[in-house]
Amino acid sequence: MASRARVTLANLKPSRGSLHNQKRVGRGQGSGYGGTSGRGHKGQKARSGSSLRQGFEGGQTPITKLFPKRGFVNHNAKEWAPVNLDRIQHWINQGRLTSSPENPITARELLASGCIHDAHDGVKILGDNASELKTPIYIIASRASKSAIAAIEAAGGKVVCKYYNALALRDCVKGRTDRVSAAPTTRKDIVWYGLHRNRGFVSSKTLQELGNLPWIEDRWKALSEQLGVWRKQKVVPLK
Amino acid sequence: MLGHSLTQALRLQCRAGASRTLATAVSPSATPIAQPVLLELTQPLKTFKTEPRASEHVVALDPSVFNHPIRRDILHLCAVHHLDGLRQGTASTKTRGEVRGSGAKIRPQKGSGRARLGDGQSPMLYGGGVAFGPKPRDFSTKLPRKVIQMGMRVALSAKVKERKLGVMSRLDWPNAKTKYLKAKLEELGLRKTLFVTGEDNVPLGLSRAINMLKLADATTVDKVNVYELMQWDRIILDIKAVEYLERTLGKNVPIAPLPLVTEVAESTLVAHSAL
Repeated sequence: MASRARVTLANLKPSRGSLHNQKRVGRGQGSGYGGTSGRGHKGQKARSGSSLRQGFEGGQTPITKLFPKRGFVNHNAKEWAPVNLDRIQHWINQGRLTSSPENPITARELLASGCIHDAHDGVKILGDNASELKTPIYIIASRASKSAIAAIEAAGGKVVCKYYNALALRDCVKGRTDRVSAAPTTRKDIVWYGLHRNRGFVSSKTLQELGNLPWIEDRWKALSEQLGVWRKQKVVPLK
Repeated sequence: MLGHSLTQALRLQCRAGASRTLATAVSPSATPIAQPVLLELTQPLKTFKTEPRASEHVVALDPSVFNHPIRRDILHLCAVHHLDGLRQGTASTKTRGEVRGSGAKIRPQKGSGRARLGDGQSPMLYGGGVAFGPKPRDFSTKLPRKVIQMGMRVALSAKVKERKLGVMSRLDWPNAKTKYLKAKLEELGLRKTLFVTGEDNVPLGLSRAINMLKLADATTVDKVNVYELMQWDRIILDIKAVEYLERTLGKNVPIAPLPLVTEVAESTLVAHSAL
């Protein structure tokens, strides 16, 4: 039941807290902003039209100028989200993470289970307390350290390092499968992901060793042939 | 009685969205189905042989438009927005630069024993300019389109709740005589009423007859706004106007279908003596 009988123009009110009165300075003592209007007494800051620039410390060398500039910022640098093997094993023991030949662990599963809090530019598997890893796991990451690869394979698992650009990583995390992830484009990436010692996804030896697991794409094989062409190129030395 | 008249009533399929609102059988755990608002037709200004009879017919209104929860704060926003736009904004003052006068110093800096002064148009002086005075400006504000739409729904629902909303099958007046229209409005008890028609223009006879009347007005449904709906005590809609409002304002919610034989409880009906 309505509390009041009629809704008219005479009894409309704004919702509580939606409106706030404007602060008007210099209008008497009762307002709290009368007289000097919140500026204190005299000095440069009390004057009309005056303000100091940001960071100015009255002439003293500001903190932003005290110390010398150093180095440069590499805009192509990638920040990998690290995850150690002991953490993965702990998650598996708790039942928060599962790995099977049909469903490998990717950035999506790691993020969803809380093993990593943010995927950044990709996930890197590291080998702290690698001896803790007992179960065979199937894992696809952006990078993996040497000791991590050794430990995973010793436990009977499989690891592949796949190239993820920003869009591909987003699709992986969101679970989108309608788009095709891009192949690596820079020379550094092509070389890196083509090496078996990194377990790169376009390395022919890695693909051979993986066999025919369901999540290995045919595209990887085609890419490994295309992106491996540089190995067989004959370089003619200039006289 | 009310229930008796309904069993004989033919339901007017006046809603454009009637087909979309038929809901299938729903389990108790799903979203609740809204009941349509049933309103008896009000007696028309002029009875036409071709139009359905008011005493035998009932209109089923979309509850998402006509039974919306009352939000006074939304109505307040819409009213303030409307009034902001009505402001002329022509208040103007002259600053010290615009007041007529020379820039010469009124008296020497030192020696007179009085305060130092520059030109004669300073705001400190009598006859000088105004400091920070009003200038012509635009006071209109913007309000999100969906807030205005909700305001319309709330205003219509408030009128339905107060039993101040009526639906006529057709809004027309045969001659342009104000005298006879005024008499008819007194007879029907429709003073302070806004007639909203769904046609492109208000019918000529009605618009001419109602022109000089202070206690009634007619407008088209695409021009009507929230403030107008709140200003007038009573609102009478056209069937076409109801269709327009349900089409533009209706929300896609499951609405219960109307039963073929009335087993409807009397509590779901708006009282028959609506106006």
